[in-house]
Amino acid sequence: MRYHALNDLRVVDLTHFIAGPYATKLLADMGADVVKVEPVWGEGGRKLGPRRAGIEDRGGLFAFLNLNKRGVTLNLKHERGRELFAGLLDGADLLIENFAPGTLAALGLAPDELIAKFPRLSVVSISNFGQDGPERDGKLNDLVLFARGGWTFPVGERDREPLTPPGSLAQYVSALYGAVAAMQALAARDLGLGHGQHIDVSILEATVATMIYETVTFQYSGIVRSRAGKRFAVGPFLIVTLKCKDGYAGLHCVTDKQFEELCDLMGRRELASDSRFNTALNRMLNNDALLEIVEAFFIGRERKWLYREGQRRAIPLVPIPSVAEVLEWEQTRARNYFETIDDPVIGKIRVPGTPLRLTSHRGEASRPAPRLGEHNREIFGGRLGLSDSAIETLKRAGTI
Amino acid sequence: MNTIFDGKVRVLDISMGWAGPLVGQMFAEMGADVVKVEDTHHFDWWRGSLSMAPPETQPIERAAVFNTANRGKRGVTLDLASARGIEILKRLIEVSDILVENFSPGVMERLGLGYDAVRAINSRLIMISMPSFGSDGPECNARGYGNTVEAMAGVTGLTGYHDGNGQRYTLSNALGDPVGGLHGVFALMVALRERERTGRGQLIELAQVESLIPFVADAMLDYQFTERVPAARGNRHREHAPHGIYRCAGDDNWIALACESDDQWRRLASALGIERLADDARFTSESARKANEDALDAELSRAFSSISADDCVALLRDAGVLVAPVNPAAAVIADPQIQSREYFVAIDRAVVGTHLYPGAVARLPDTPLRADAPAPLLGEHNRQVFAETLGMSDDDIAELERTGVIGSSPRQHRVA
Repeated sequence: MRYHALNDLRVVDLTHFIAGPYATKLLADMGADVVKVEPVWGEGGRKLGPRRAGIEDRGGLFAFLNLNKRGVTLNLKHERGRELFAGLLDGADLLIENFAPGTLAALGLAPDELIAKFPRLSVVSISNFGQDGPERDGKLNDLVLFARGGWTFPVGERDREPLTPPGSLAQYVSALYGAVAAMQALAARDLGLGHGQHIDVSILEATVATMIYETVTFQYSGIVRSRAGKRFAVGPFLIVTLKCKDGYAGLHCVTDKQFEELCDLMGRRELASDSRFNTALNRMLNNDALLEIVEAFFIGRERKWLYREGQRRAIPLVPIPSVAEVLEWEQTRARNYFETIDDPVIGKIRVPGTPLRLTSHRGEASRPAPRLGEHNREIFGGRLGLSDSAIETLKRAGTI
Repeated sequence: MNTIFDGKVRVLDISMGWAGPLVGQMFAEMGADVVKVEDTHHFDWWRGSLSMAPPETQPIERAAVFNTANRGKRGVTLDLASARGIEILKRLIEVSDILVENFSPGVMERLGLGYDAVRAINSRLIMISMPSFGSDGPECNARGYGNTVEAMAGVTGLTGYHDGNGQRYTLSNALGDPVGGLHGVFALMVALRERERTGRGQLIELAQVESLIPFVADAMLDYQFTERVPAARGNRHREHAPHGIYRCAGDDNWIALACESDDQWRRLASALGIERLADDARFTSESARKANEDALDAELSRAFSSISADDCVALLRDAGVLVAPVNPAAAVIADPQIQSREYFVAIDRAVVGTHLYPGAVARLPDTPLRADAPAPLLGEHNRQVFAETLGMSDDDIAELERTGVIGSSPRQHRVA
């Protein structure tokens, strides 16, 4: 889905893989004119993620993360490539990049110099560890990032190894911080500052920022949260993933009211006034006994029944769906959340829609992700005024 | 110019928990005037329960999570079940730019504050509603919080050990909440920019679950391409091995490591002095290591069990292997990279004293974000906001206190 709220914004997108491309996708979905600049061999993320059988050079994730962008190729090691790049920056509001720190400077494209040359431009840099510090140039992957940032230690069984979260969740979190930062730089510029800035977003810090349970709670209580198995933690609540007859269900029982309703759901109203469970503090002290009772009840019930009967009582209780079930979930269907894209290479795929509904706009269908260099002619010819023969020459020289 | 907004944007935050309050907190970082409204009976549930400690110790002022997510706001109380409370809230709406709410669908309408009513009061106001599953659709009334949103987005279904019995685990950080909040901030920044052009506010709807689903798009595409539901992989990787978490010497000390090439694997083996494993036919290539991963993990676990986590990390980092300690909270705060960038900020907050809080993530050199102001006590700024911002007299405010419309201590029962 594509809105047009930001259609006066010009973004030069020098990102690859996930954190950068998702940041620019958020802007593109809001209507910003995003031109994705790739090396002539394509960015590393083109082959990323699940691929349809027989299609090696275009991953499904690339096709999702780069919707609504136009794509050009440029060899920034060629002087002519850098000149054309400067042409794209002229009049642009944002340059967004997620190379290793120092990469742009080594190409003669240091962000501060770019801003000096194009004062209205802001540069958002998203990197593993930030633009400075002793480990600025260090490497990360998702497993190592989650572990270091504190997400992993409290997850899993007490007597087993900690369990990492799935996928690349923190890359997306960093993308969000990057997209927000881009809007912040524009707001600052337009509300009085008058010029752009070079913004530094560290993926490690974005990971830590979303872990306030550990870092702050620990200082207050002095207690390190250890792995609590199926429970989120042992506390004055029951936040737990429970086995039921046909899968798993997630329960979030925190308030007195939710607990009373849970007792009602189980047909055990007397538990609400039981001296072991009648206050939040007692529910923490007797958390194991409480869990045992609830577990025994859930194991004999079906997910759908628990969901319906729990929610009827305003208990946050949900079935735990597979990603396949999320794709088929009635609620997402009714809201037309997933969007079907007819990708020119991969064919039809269903992808998540934009999470934001701006009531001032009607959204329109997304444009598929660009093929490598798909908009070279449109951008270099249209925006920069190059002739067909000049474009042909650049192509032969390997500059585009 | 010190901050982006320099107090020129006012945010009215009537949300609770984390997702909504994070929106207000991030606007406070930008220098907006953020007024958080609570009810003395139904105060923000993230303050915790009154039963946790004796009243004189002020238990609801001791919630680390509340005190983090509400930094930099002015706090007022209003009884939203009373006509007078709603009337005052409407006056605040009149002088605000943004209204943040994350009640269940229908609650704002019942309070007489649906978007049409809000727009009639202030057409420039931008209102954001953050229901868990959306404001329409057959399941829009279902209750969800961070963890339940995470489940319905498909995240929990992917979180389990590779050799588990199917047990699924919730993430440690209620990710659905901050992700909803971050999307909310982004949406509001877009709408504010648009308002500069059009002069009009609008309603933004953000279904929290819809903001988290994109994070597992790869698993959804995998399912579409293979027609197989992706299995929980635990600490393992689709292609690479070793890729896991291993116990080191000491109590509950672990490291996470990954080798993404044969070369990294050989360097790991030589750093640990276990070259024999690198030459073992079961482990020479990535596909062989993947096929014999249980045996590989058992060998590595033996090798690490007598070395401290710090030593392991130092050895392997020097060898160019992807590695990190599995950090508990204190170690995250002490992380040398985090420390060198002064990411955490010290804040002295009434009742609890001085602690370190996570700072603002984005570094904007010319308009720095400010994450160093404390969260308000319940009703702390009643007098300031109602007198200075709404121009009420001392008598008006005393009357509101007497009738229980406002207050600064939690109440179990309403004033009759």
